[in-house]
Amino acid sequence: MLPTLRALWQADGAFPSGSFAFSYGIEGIIALRHGLDARELKRLVSAALQHRWASYDRVALLRAFRCNGDLAVIAAVDREVEASTLVESLRAGSRRNGASFLASHARIGNDLAAILRDAVRSGECLGHIAVMQGAVWSSVGLDENLAQLTSGYTVASGLITAAIRLGAVGALQGQEVLADCLPLIEQLTMNETPPDAELESFAPFLDVAAARHAQADLRLFAN
Amino acid sequence: MLDKLRPAERTAAHTGPAAARVGIGGPVGCGKTALIEALIPVLQRRGIDFAVVTNDLVTKEDAERLRRSGLIDPARVSAVEAGACPHTVIREDPTLNIAAGDDLEARFPGLELILFESGGDNLASTFSLDLVDWWMFVIDVAGGDDIPRKRGPGLLRCDLLVVNKVDLAPHVGVALEPMLAEAVKVRGGRPVLATNARSGAGIEAVADAISAAVLFRV
Repeated sequence: MLPTLRALWQADGAFPSGSFAFSYGIEGIIALRHGLDARELKRLVSAALQHRWASYDRVALLRAFRCNGDLAVIAAVDREVEASTLVESLRAGSRRNGASFLASHARIGNDLAAILRDAVRSGECLGHIAVMQGAVWSSVGLDENLAQLTSGYTVASGLITAAIRLGAVGALQGQEVLADCLPLIEQLTMNETPPDAELESFAPFLDVAAARHAQADLRLFAN
Repeated sequence: MLDKLRPAERTAAHTGPAAARVGIGGPVGCGKTALIEALIPVLQRRGIDFAVVTNDLVTKEDAERLRRSGLIDPARVSAVEAGACPHTVIREDPTLNIAAGDDLEARFPGLELILFESGGDNLASTFSLDLVDWWMFVIDVAGGDDIPRKRGPGLLRCDLLVVNKVDLAPHVGVALEPMLAEAVKVRGGRPVLATNARSGAGIEAVADAISAAVLFRV
């Protein structure tokens, strides 16, 4: 039961990781498409899960999770994420989110997080959030399946929470969307991920919206 | 070079923050940025090595204002977007600010003090002691002389309450002395300082309070 409790601990929005400041494209989409409703939000979150998270963030997370704290592997995955994330604000946001995540774990006594934080500071690693989650979660006792589920849940809940704070949907509508996304997250984690899996993402609408958002004078979220 | 040592074989760096961290919170328009602008030359004159982290709500206005002020090396000013949650970024989840402070410390070895300016908020705003060692809350007389009576947690729990824009008191129908006396009373005698950030009145006293509280310079 303890691994499950640890997964709940890490999926809890109350765990401080800086994620609340990032919309990962949602704010840009709402600016482009006024009147976005709960049905469209569900399609959007599902698309993000299928075309970005499952084949990209999840794969990066698993590769970092499986390397057993090997910094060379973690740094290599980190560099791959950096090189293959097209939009600058998504790259920078992912690094800042990762730095905050490491700051929390390092301060509460996780040795690997402290080492990764120092590696980011020295430039050895970049600190992308999915990579840091994979590495640190392997050290706090989550199993591989729970790590994937936790990641998928935090991505979906983060997108939906951003949409709620932007006023696109109500808090209860958001929970309905999130509940509808849970079977998809489970299904996507069932895909086998071989050790040499490539990072693949194709979510042009989210990318374009995030790129436009970076130029906005007024914005609530960092990306 | 990267090495492949397991974490247990490397030295974990659980070092605490080297620079003292001071929070400056308060409602929108109370003069937090103006207070920092007024503090900068005073701290510089005292030879204090410092940097600033700003938390803007929807823009980078405050960070840009400080960077363009010519008062401080722009590299010493970091901006953290608050994600629409000025409370969260200084209290429930201060990790973005912690990371910004850590980054400043790494870039400026010898840094003694980091000022964290919160986004404009309300009287319930308080700083997490995970983020800061000591914090002040700023209100201004133009907000009304009943603000101390409202006893918001920010006003009550801060280490120092600053009542700014005291020059405006006669123009907004505020009796300053009773307002200050009430502020002291609701705070149980804890420190209250009156300032006019634009003229510099009271700023030396704020710098004295910071120096005594976290830099141990009296």
